[in-house]
Amino acid sequence: MTTPTPTLAVEVMRAPRLRPAGITFGIALGIVSVMTLAAIFAPFIAPYPPDQLDFAAVNAGPSAAHWLGTDALGRDLLSRLIYGARTALLGPLLVVIGSTIIGMLLGLLAGWRGGWIDSVLGRVFDVLFAFPSLLLAIMAVALFGKGLIAPVIAMSIAYAPFVARLTRALVKAERTRPYVSAYRVQGFSGPWIALRRVLPNVTPIVGAQSTLNFGYVLAELAGLSFLGLGVQPPTPDWGAMINEAQPGIVGGFFLPAIVPAVAVVLVVVAVNIIGEELSERIGGEIPA
Amino acid sequence: MALDSSTVAVAAQNAAAANPRFGGRFTAAGLRRVAGKLGSLVLTLFLASLLVFFSRFLVPGDPVTFLLRGRKPSPEAIAQVTEQYGLDLPPWQQYLNWLVGAVQGDFGRSLQYRQDVSTVLGERLPVTLMLVVMAGLLIAIVGLSAGIVAALNRGKALDRFTLIGLTMLSAVPSFVGSIVLIAIFAVQLGWFPTFGSGEGFGDMVYHLVLPSIALAIVFVVLVGKVTRSSMVEQLDREHVEVAISRGLKRGTVIRRHVFRNALGPILTVSGILVAGLLVASTIVEAAFGLAGMGSLLVQSVDRLDFPVVQAIVMFVVTAFVVVNAIIDIAEPWIDPRSAAGAAAR
Amino acid sequence: MSLLDISELTLDLPNGTRLLDGISLSVDAGETVGLVGESGSGKSLTARSVLGLTPDGARLGGRVELDGREVIGASAAGILDLRRHAASMIFQDPRAGINPMRTLGDHMTETLRLCEGRSKADATARAAELLASVQLPRPEEHLKQYPHEFSGGMLQRVMIAGALTSSPKLLICDEPTTALDVTTQAEIIRVLIEQRSSRGMGMLFITHDLNLAASICDRVVVMSAGRVEETGDARRVFSAPQGEYTKRLVAATPTIAAATGATGVDVIDVRAVPSIETERSDAEPMLAANGISKTYHLRGKTEVNAVVDASISIARGGALAVVGESGSGKSTLARMIVGLEQADAGDIRIAGRERTEIPRGRAARLAHARSVQMVFQDPYLSLDPRMTAGRSIEDALRLHTKLSTSDARARVLALLEQVGLGEKHAQARPRTLSGGQRQRVAIARALAIDPDVLVMDEATSALDVSVQAQVLDVLAEIRRERGLTVLFISHDLAVVRRVCEETVVMRRGRIVERGRTAALLAAPEHPYTQLLIDSVPRPDWAVDPVADQKSA
Repeated sequence: MTTPTPTLAVEVMRAPRLRPAGITFGIALGIVSVMTLAAIFAPFIAPYPPDQLDFAAVNAGPSAAHWLGTDALGRDLLSRLIYGARTALLGPLLVVIGSTIIGMLLGLLAGWRGGWIDSVLGRVFDVLFAFPSLLLAIMAVALFGKGLIAPVIAMSIAYAPFVARLTRALVKAERTRPYVSAYRVQGFSGPWIALRRVLPNVTPIVGAQSTLNFGYVLAELAGLSFLGLGVQPPTPDWGAMINEAQPGIVGGFFLPAIVPAVAVVLVVVAVNIIGEELSERIGGEIPA
Repeated sequence: MALDSSTVAVAAQNAAAANPRFGGRFTAAGLRRVAGKLGSLVLTLFLASLLVFFSRFLVPGDPVTFLLRGRKPSPEAIAQVTEQYGLDLPPWQQYLNWLVGAVQGDFGRSLQYRQDVSTVLGERLPVTLMLVVMAGLLIAIVGLSAGIVAALNRGKALDRFTLIGLTMLSAVPSFVGSIVLIAIFAVQLGWFPTFGSGEGFGDMVYHLVLPSIALAIVFVVLVGKVTRSSMVEQLDREHVEVAISRGLKRGTVIRRHVFRNALGPILTVSGILVAGLLVASTIVEAAFGLAGMGSLLVQSVDRLDFPVVQAIVMFVVTAFVVVNAIIDIAEPWIDPRSAAGAAAR
Repeated sequence: MSLLDISELTLDLPNGTRLLDGISLSVDAGETVGLVGESGSGKSLTARSVLGLTPDGARLGGRVELDGREVIGASAAGILDLRRHAASMIFQDPRAGINPMRTLGDHMTETLRLCEGRSKADATARAAELLASVQLPRPEEHLKQYPHEFSGGMLQRVMIAGALTSSPKLLICDEPTTALDVTTQAEIIRVLIEQRSSRGMGMLFITHDLNLAASICDRVVVMSAGRVEETGDARRVFSAPQGEYTKRLVAATPTIAAATGATGVDVIDVRAVPSIETERSDAEPMLAANGISKTYHLRGKTEVNAVVDASISIARGGALAVVGESGSGKSTLARMIVGLEQADAGDIRIAGRERTEIPRGRAARLAHARSVQMVFQDPYLSLDPRMTAGRSIEDALRLHTKLSTSDARARVLALLEQVGLGEKHAQARPRTLSGGQRQRVAIARALAIDPDVLVMDEATSALDVSVQAQVLDVLAEIRRERGLTVLFISHDLAVVRRVCEETVVMRRGRIVERGRTAALLAAPEHPYTQLLIDSVPRPDWAVDPVADQKSA
């Protein structure tokens, strides 16, 4: 019956936690902020309109006029990159917000109420897990046509079960803790405890996970554009830019593809570093 | 209401003590468990098929127009499509017809190829499966090694280095990986072809080297990270310290107690990988111009060939559900506690 | 020369923290040495250093000589050899100590096969023999079973048998019975003593339980904060402690025996305190539970009769203890009384009001809460990690009263003061508070609602003895001041003796005996109560049953 008290020795046995250095975290934050500002203020920052053709400089390398060179139609890559940040960041942002709200509410409901609600929701999540997010997005495009809206809605639905399952596991673990029983004994109502106390306690961990999801979604939506199923030309979009640049690669013109590719990698890496650092700092154990 | 956990735990032990083979593998309880998992598999597939079939009805408007979008249908074509898909029947009957066919491998006819969907799919499948298998091997070898190396050097430079490497790689989506690999190894160095899947087995493997690497990158990170964290978690367990205190060699302890016990989460993630690989191969096939199932999917979406899309989605979903059911059923061989049910955990 | 000789052992972490500071002790063959101390005293670390199980990067100084060989700085092969032949270790939690995914046979034969190179059949025969020697009923069958099929007590026997596979000269036991019930503890201790004397092993026995150490050890080493406070003959250390720390520790340790001299504080008898409340003792009892039962239905067909037809009553201002081992249903009983579980049958009345049902609706919840409050076992989990101590109490206050913000704050401080905490604790989150401080906050929070009855569910069992003593003092103080009625759930007879006038004993959901605590402890009637009392370790120097073996 006695709970073994953790001795100092046991605590010492645990190796120090590994965390990326503060500088890395700072750089990551910097990258994301710069990209966000670029997206918001694109018209004021970009040196050229994103679709302005310059036939005198087709597939040109970096120069004073075009810092990052131009593409096969002579469009300025830097300008397209800056404008492309808009769809690149907006899509994942919507998906993360949507999936987090849906997922947290359903997860809280399933984990807090348990019983048949939990069973039914669990079954629904099981079915949705069988549809990888990119597949669901492609299916949505097949049904509703190309663009950003259908895939964003589909991916919000595809990611919600992951958020929900995490929230559910956390809430279930939290619910068995004596502090929840203590609130009950003090006379607080179930919904009050669930919404005002348990939910805020699990939010940081779910939030860190959602940050990581942002990176995955960004990569997947860019992939969808790369397939020609997402954002459509001439709207500048990183995935679509790579798609358009693909024929040029065989001819040795790497820059028009590499520039947006690097942008994707940079943002995703930065977001992943932020997400990992956040979950380290929270230090919450994520139950299986 | 939460049960009083100590009371329940004691009861579970009493039950176990009364029946020494409680939770055995080949007992009636074990068979019931397997039957339950199979039932759950069928139910999940059934619900998924509802979603795949009836998603079409989410699109407002006439189903014939939907199926023939982008084409200029003659009245005959409309009549033919209506007849062929039974579009004049009530929805549930259309579904039953489709389901009965699908179970037998008949997904109807492709609108773009004017062939049976199953024939079209059958031609495309080998490339995709080969690609997935090659990527899977890469993932297993590189992912597991990275995870194990990192875990065994926890907190040291090698661990840091591996973790940083994995975080970097996790940000390289397959389309980025593809174009970089093409640019360097196909165009610049000319070591590998840029396009196509080759003829014959050996040539196919050669053609699929770069695609499988591009496909594997992100998943290597997944397996590597899960392996590391699962191993690290086990390394901290007291039974590992007990094994060390008994004078077993480090290698023996790692093999028999740490890695063995860490397998569960690794297998679970591997199950999720299967569907992920099949879908991500879409992008890689598009980048390398491979005539696989993925590029068929993109073409079919592009050319509004919905029956093919349905068939491919159903194939991926089935693959996911079946693989995960197998892993689920095999779980007692990994963790004997799982057979005894939640009560004895 | 001694079997184990530790002298001036120091251990420093890479960050410079000194965890062990000049530890010296020795163990002879056939001798049991107790290593006693509270959490964080470094006793476990000292024991682990004998087998080279120190944290990565720790710097060791001094000497640790085991069986004539130096451990510190020994080669990897040398350490392996020491672990294989010289000493074995038994750990605290047997459920964590055996690989849950392998059979017990694998655990038992692993070292025999892999280290000694025995054949599988040979190793299996030896393993079965050892399991039989620790009195497990069906050794051959057990070898094919998995750990989850066993109780904690049976697993600890397996751990002991496993440690004996190497025929060690020194057996290190790190709190081997702390996770077990008291009757199981007595059985395990019996097995350990048998094995020690039949094999002539030396034993280093680590425990936080002074009574246990006193009952089995020849000599004891008392540790605190990484230092040795006192070393000596067990009897001398406990009966005439010399160091300040040891004196305090001995004084704080509750004992079951009524007359052990200076130790132990007398039962607080609130009836002796003049009070208006007690004048009306003829009235209805403050808490009355009549014939309550609770059955759980597990998945599958197993039914668990957690509580069967239990009746208790406590007079106004009284304190009743419910004593029992794990699974006795005592916690379920408490949870029914505070309205966390619904009783299947029977009724509960508190201060004359019906409190059987789980309260539904705001008014019913608040009324129930004002009838009864509860302090939970685990101080690490019973406070909301995100709320400061002050906020926790304020939440409870504001739910039940209409105090203004400033009045509520003042009241929070008054409550904290009552449990011996101050303003700085009000601002602290639970993470930064010690176990004892958290439990005081939990008590203050319960008092904020000013309940008729306070239920304490193993509220001090996770605490070190000195901290436990402080919390119990706080409780006594509050009872004196407020005339609070207390239901005290515990597994620890010695603590119960200090706190409660009356006691009921529960076993497998049923109340088997009840009576005045002192009388019940002195002359138990039910065989189970007798077993429970006999199982409690105590330094009964005059008629020590193991005294004869000690000089071996």
